[in-house]
Amino acid sequence: MKQTPQSERKPSADAGRRNFLRALAGAAGAAAALQMLDRLEAAPEQVAESLADAAARVPQAVTEAGANADVLIRMQADLARALKKQPSERRWVMVIDLRKCVGCHACTIACVAENKLPPGVVYRPVLEEEIGEYPNVTRRFVPRPCMQCERPPCVPVCPVNATYTNEEGIVEVNYDQCIGCRACLTACPYGARTSDFGYTYAEGTPNADGLILGQAQADAYERAANYEYGKPWPRKGYGSPMGNARKCHFCQHRLKQGMLPECVTTCIGRATLFGDANDPDSVVAQLIKLPNVIRLKEELGTRPRVYYIV
Amino acid sequence: MIKKALYALGVIAVLLGLYGFYSRLFIGERDVNYGSYVTWGLWVAMYLFFAGVATGAFMLATLDYLFNVKLFKGTGKYALWAALVTMPAALITIAFDLGHMERIWKVYLNPNFGAPMAQLVWGYTLFLIVVIVALVLAARKPDSLGMKIVMSVGLFLAIFLSGGVGALLGVNASRPGWHNGMLPAQFPLFSLTSGAALMMIVIGWFMPAGELRSQRLRALSIAMIVLILVKAYYLWTDFSLAVYSGVPDAVAGVNLILFGRYAWAFWGLQLFLGMIVPLVVLLVPGLSRSAFVVGLMGVFVLIGFAVARSNIIFPALAIPELKGLMEAFHGPHLNFDYSPSLMEWSVTIGVVGLSTLAFLIGTDRLPFLKRTEVSR
Repeated sequence: MKQTPQSERKPSADAGRRNFLRALAGAAGAAAALQMLDRLEAAPEQVAESLADAAARVPQAVTEAGANADVLIRMQADLARALKKQPSERRWVMVIDLRKCVGCHACTIACVAENKLPPGVVYRPVLEEEIGEYPNVTRRFVPRPCMQCERPPCVPVCPVNATYTNEEGIVEVNYDQCIGCRACLTACPYGARTSDFGYTYAEGTPNADGLILGQAQADAYERAANYEYGKPWPRKGYGSPMGNARKCHFCQHRLKQGMLPECVTTCIGRATLFGDANDPDSVVAQLIKLPNVIRLKEELGTRPRVYYIV
Repeated sequence: MIKKALYALGVIAVLLGLYGFYSRLFIGERDVNYGSYVTWGLWVAMYLFFAGVATGAFMLATLDYLFNVKLFKGTGKYALWAALVTMPAALITIAFDLGHMERIWKVYLNPNFGAPMAQLVWGYTLFLIVVIVALVLAARKPDSLGMKIVMSVGLFLAIFLSGGVGALLGVNASRPGWHNGMLPAQFPLFSLTSGAALMMIVIGWFMPAGELRSQRLRALSIAMIVLILVKAYYLWTDFSLAVYSGVPDAVAGVNLILFGRYAWAFWGLQLFLGMIVPLVVLLVPGLSRSAFVVGLMGVFVLIGFAVARSNIIFPALAIPELKGLMEAFHGPHLNFDYSPSLMEWSVTIGVVGLSTLAFLIGTDRLPFLKRTEVSR
């Protein structure tokens, strides 16, 4: 991504105005996020607005982001454009720039927080590899979300059609349909699915009325619903998603609200990029054309929608 | 005497299984050691084992009711009964393995027939119906045309379901140890061997002594020698193909079996107890003259098969799909180093006990099973 050199930038004459605008934009963003949270909590069923509405909520400054804007702003603009199209016309892809990944695992944690993943369930671990022998060693970090394969081996093995590719190309799991046979976990060449065995992080932690505070609140928070696939999924009894196969879904519930996937917005190195590959002006469309782009286990013919820049 | 001992062992096994049944039915899958990486464990291995015994027993029943082999006249009903008590054992272990076993009806109402698992569920249902109908006909009209038709359908199902188990594993293209056209082709033979081993036990231990029993056991022994040799050849082809291909995951899987943590189970139980001992004993006439010993060899072959099923399942899943996956994130059930938990063993032992007791009670209490072939 081309960035304006420090020397070419205007000195501090506009700094105050720029900071003011940033603060304003930040405040607007925060207000929008709060509003979103309110709506999610108040009436989850009514959350599914039209995608055009979601796109319309993106500030005009963002939708008109130029080539030199921060890549997050550009991707937000790309997203707004994509949401105006028919779902079948979009081709969501993720690009992970391994040269920029520092292995901070922020994306992993953000994903856990966003989707309220319980112990033992992970959508986006970061694989660490040590290369070479001392003293000539280096490390490589490979974030591994679901590859959202165009030809997913996990789909045909499902005995009850609980997993399928939706019209946007994202491989979904219908939690209410899944019988928990783990055939899809076995079939996935990337180990990208995990099974929810019904744990919570708060269980087994100390609890003493009046002496230790927080256990009950933490437990209640964990059991409150997440909103994967745009539906509330509280952890009650042993109902779904407990007992189910679970996986990364490119934060569809966020996309439908005009927000980028959580791992993208959280990446401190701007190493994870997301957008519509069918839009030639999008960040991702320009990146996946590069010659130094690979996909994992391409020899299997699964055609992942996650690309790595190496 | 043998029967009393088996009754006692069966009751003890069921009692030992109570903990596992309670834990699985009322607590869930928390006490299991399989998980998101080693996705299938002891119960899936036992499902393969019991399903193989059930379909194999049916194949042996066709000697009586379909092919009219005189030597085996009168043994078919026991083989059918064995199939009827072992297939539910297979289904219990695989049902317990499901995260939502209460949703099994979805496989009937919204099946994906492109998936081997859906084909198998429907196939097992049909198979059980066929076995029950065959048992009813065996009690009433054993020589009727209807019986022949039912047994023909059942034989087709038995072969299809045996091969289907191989396909269930073989379709996973990213598992080099499984993705092998030989796998679905081998499983019908494995089933036949399991069925023959079971009938060695039934005839050797429960049928009246005499020349007829000796002849039957001799025939089964010769068949078993051939089947063990073919099985050994399959073992060689599986291992040699994996090793000579040089595909790292395939080689790693074979290494795990031969030299890994459970190498003793392969060398000691699968190879020595399950193949070499029966082969030597059945080859030497002096050793295999005793009906009890022949029955015992049947038990050894079945133990070897149970271990072999485990060695098909666990090692192939114990190889990380991507380097560094195991260390990337930690949590319960995120482990590539699998050994069955106490609860998994408990359920397995309980299911073995239940099927053993069911077989014994049936042969002792059901009127048409109590009649020996002499009265027919």
